[in-house]
Amino acid sequence: MADLIANDSLALALIKIHFMKRTITMAFVLFTMVTQAQMKAEDVKTFTLKNGMKFLVIEDNSIPNANMYLFYKVGSRNEYQGITGLSHFFEHMMFNGAKKFGPKMFDQTMEFNGGANNAYTTENVTVYTNWFPSSATEVIFDLEGDRISSLSIDPKMVESERGVVLSERSTGLENSPWQLLFQTAQGLAFLEHPYHWPVIGYEDDMKNWKQTDLERYFKTYYAPNNCVTVISGNVKFDEVKKLAEKYIEPIPAQPAPPKVNIVEPPQTGERRVMMQKDVATPYLGIGWHVPEAKHEDYYALTILSDILASGRSSRLYSSLVDKKQLATQVFTNFGESFDPTLFIIAAVTAKNINENDLEKAIYEELEKIKKDGITENELQKIKNQKLMEFYGQVETINGKSNNIGTYEVFFGDYKKMFDAPAAFNKVTTEDVKTVAVKYFTKKNRTVGVLKSNTEE
Amino acid sequence: MKRIHQLISLIILLYGSNVQLTAQSYKLPPYQKFQLKNGLTVYLMEQHEVPVINVSVILPAGAIYDGEKAGLASLSATALKHGTKNFTKTKLDEELDFHGASINTFASKESAGLSARMAAKDKDKILNLLKEIILEPSFDATEFDKEKKRLLVSLEQQKESPRAVIASYFDKFIYGDHVYGNIVQGKISTVSPLTVADVKRFYSENYLPEGSAIAVAGDFKSSEMKTLITSLFSDWKKGTKPQVNLASKPIPVPAKQQVLLINKDDAKETTFYIGAPGISRNNADYVAIDVVNTLFGGRFTSMLNDELRVNTGLTYGANSRFNALKNGGTFVISTFTAGKTTESAIDKAIEVLNKLHSTGINETSLASAKNYVKGQFPPRYETAGQLAGLMTQMFWYNFDESYINNFEKNVDGLTLDKAKQIIAKYFPKDKLQFVMVGKSADIKKIAEKYGPVTEVQIKEEVKKAF
Repeated sequence: MADLIANDSLALALIKIHFMKRTITMAFVLFTMVTQAQMKAEDVKTFTLKNGMKFLVIEDNSIPNANMYLFYKVGSRNEYQGITGLSHFFEHMMFNGAKKFGPKMFDQTMEFNGGANNAYTTENVTVYTNWFPSSATEVIFDLEGDRISSLSIDPKMVESERGVVLSERSTGLENSPWQLLFQTAQGLAFLEHPYHWPVIGYEDDMKNWKQTDLERYFKTYYAPNNCVTVISGNVKFDEVKKLAEKYIEPIPAQPAPPKVNIVEPPQTGERRVMMQKDVATPYLGIGWHVPEAKHEDYYALTILSDILASGRSSRLYSSLVDKKQLATQVFTNFGESFDPTLFIIAAVTAKNINENDLEKAIYEELEKIKKDGITENELQKIKNQKLMEFYGQVETINGKSNNIGTYEVFFGDYKKMFDAPAAFNKVTTEDVKTVAVKYFTKKNRTVGVLKSNTEE
Repeated sequence: MKRIHQLISLIILLYGSNVQLTAQSYKLPPYQKFQLKNGLTVYLMEQHEVPVINVSVILPAGAIYDGEKAGLASLSATALKHGTKNFTKTKLDEELDFHGASINTFASKESAGLSARMAAKDKDKILNLLKEIILEPSFDATEFDKEKKRLLVSLEQQKESPRAVIASYFDKFIYGDHVYGNIVQGKISTVSPLTVADVKRFYSENYLPEGSAIAVAGDFKSSEMKTLITSLFSDWKKGTKPQVNLASKPIPVPAKQQVLLINKDDAKETTFYIGAPGISRNNADYVAIDVVNTLFGGRFTSMLNDELRVNTGLTYGANSRFNALKNGGTFVISTFTAGKTTESAIDKAIEVLNKLHSTGINETSLASAKNYVKGQFPPRYETAGQLAGLMTQMFWYNFDESYINNFEKNVDGLTLDKAKQIIAKYFPKDKLQFVMVGKSADIKKIAEKYGPVTEVQIKEEVKKAF
């Protein structure tokens, strides 16, 4: 597993997602364009336990391994000021001891049995990922059952783990200007909604979380009915079901967690923020408010994101990096979320270029699309790319689990992954133009600039 | 300690397995290997899970051939994609993007490489592009200048991140004048004067079929692919003079424990390496060393991570690894900590290293490491892309499928006695080499505790010698 961020568009994604252990390249949900997918809906078998935990199982014996991905519907959006960063901290605490397996025993047992694990937290979800030889499947169920039902929140472990997450926060800020830039710009784009604070939390909140905060959080959100589990690999559906019934079903359901009621009020004017950091050239990040994954505009926006920045022939790279040489890098980010989110365009200014010129040039490219739309050739290009991305996803058991789980959680039904080809094929060049016009306005944008001299 | 021992015995009993879990043995899928008349080695492996083809190419054109022109190998590899005989850069980019294909060119310390991915149905078109990129690059001067400008900004930007530069400093510090100390990405002063003439010369001297291999893994018929690759690459001319094997010169061994301190004025953390000379890739104990290193610093429950992260909360992560090249390598403990806990973290890391030598390891922890290494092995070779990369590694380091097929057996064969010998022989005890990136004003005094300190500024360039 790679433990370094390979490119900057992933760097952005990874900043918003905090990993438990080591950074791994995160694969996002991507759609298939084929009418006959290599992986079919019927390949996924499901069952739901009496306590509400839903299981999705994909039998795949290409390697003698399996995985288990648990998607909990809790993230930084469920927090409030005073406990920011708690979901992510909680993700750490899930490894620090339960009833049957005491502190450190979760990892030691899993690794003893040939397994490895990680976890990640976003604004929306906390996902636990286990990778193991399929012969160790029962051990994994035992470990998970133990910590879901009986996590022990030992004050000593709380203190040492607090140091760990403070280190995680600090090293992110130390090694990448993007962390500071996106945190700050996002904080300005969202004034009321919980996307306002970073997933890692505010440093002072991190230093002041209390035992009672943790205990209440666990009870509220770590309920089997608030979780979807996906298992792919060299397993048999019937055996998985038996293990789930043995180790997970006895865990009682909890009342549904509180809904997040806050809706960010409409942004009626451009917002701008500057940050000082000693950097070679200015960094630029611009976010526009766009809808959540379930919205009908999701597919067109996804295509627009790729039109703008996927590959060297993309609109932004070709114009800003290659032809005009205003930027050395440019990328976009737009992903799944439960609530309306941001569509981000980010770029690094070239040497001796004023970042205002780069910013203007970005808007010029957007205006072109708003006025003239995109070409049929470009649309076909993106569809071809999506297909290749899909193949990359389903080529690994980990890709399968992550994809299927993300669909189930963000789109409401894993089967939608297989309907996506049709949804994508339906998108026209006109649709892409329409969403560009609709969302990419001046008043809808928040602009962050990070540079060495903020006084000039 | 005893409790843990008992608990683990309990776990073993509960699941009725032996101490050594017998996983289904992983075998490398069948492949073909042959050579063209010009010496190019070709590997073909059919994989039909998805209708995609992956290619990996390895070339003897790494940073060890840079000479004084640090960064030339890397820039030359990038420049391959600046246009070819029949395609301008723009056309090349458009073709690849339109088909959802990718071709990446890069250089590392010893070698240059190319990795490609394409839909099986596009193989004729994309493999032809790939051939032009390797055999008929145009090295367009305008594109080169633009690329160089971007690279210079990137080199400046790297200094914003301790993690991005520490490895280069460490290699220079420990390898000295040896070519393994060459900085792959280059330095501002060495990259600035480079021109396409330099690239063209580098290319003609080092991009040679007789020292290269191409591996293709994916959805194709071997007989067809053999014909296609042969026809595409047969015209590649052999080199006119043999390459000088600069890496085979003796690697200096550090004479004493010493410290390199790189000052970064706005650092809030200290990022550090503690290292020593390591091994070459073809070391007979390679697998055994991998297992022991896993225990020491190669997984979450490793001794290093357990102490530095879990027990003390000093860092988000600490690890160790052996970076093995053809003729030698390094051993490195790597971690970071808040500025104010610099001394605690460094002392802890040394303490754990000493513990490895004094207390060593026991049967249970060795069994755990063996199970882990075996359990995490198959996913490394799950995709055709991974398999293509493996085959070029096999060429480069001169091993074959027996390494993969015997891996589990070799892991199983590691006894506690042998593991203890491995520790004594390969893991350093003294003459440690420390490299720290942090705020000198706060940590210089601490650094001096560990040996004579050489201080440099992160904004300066990496020196030729320290």
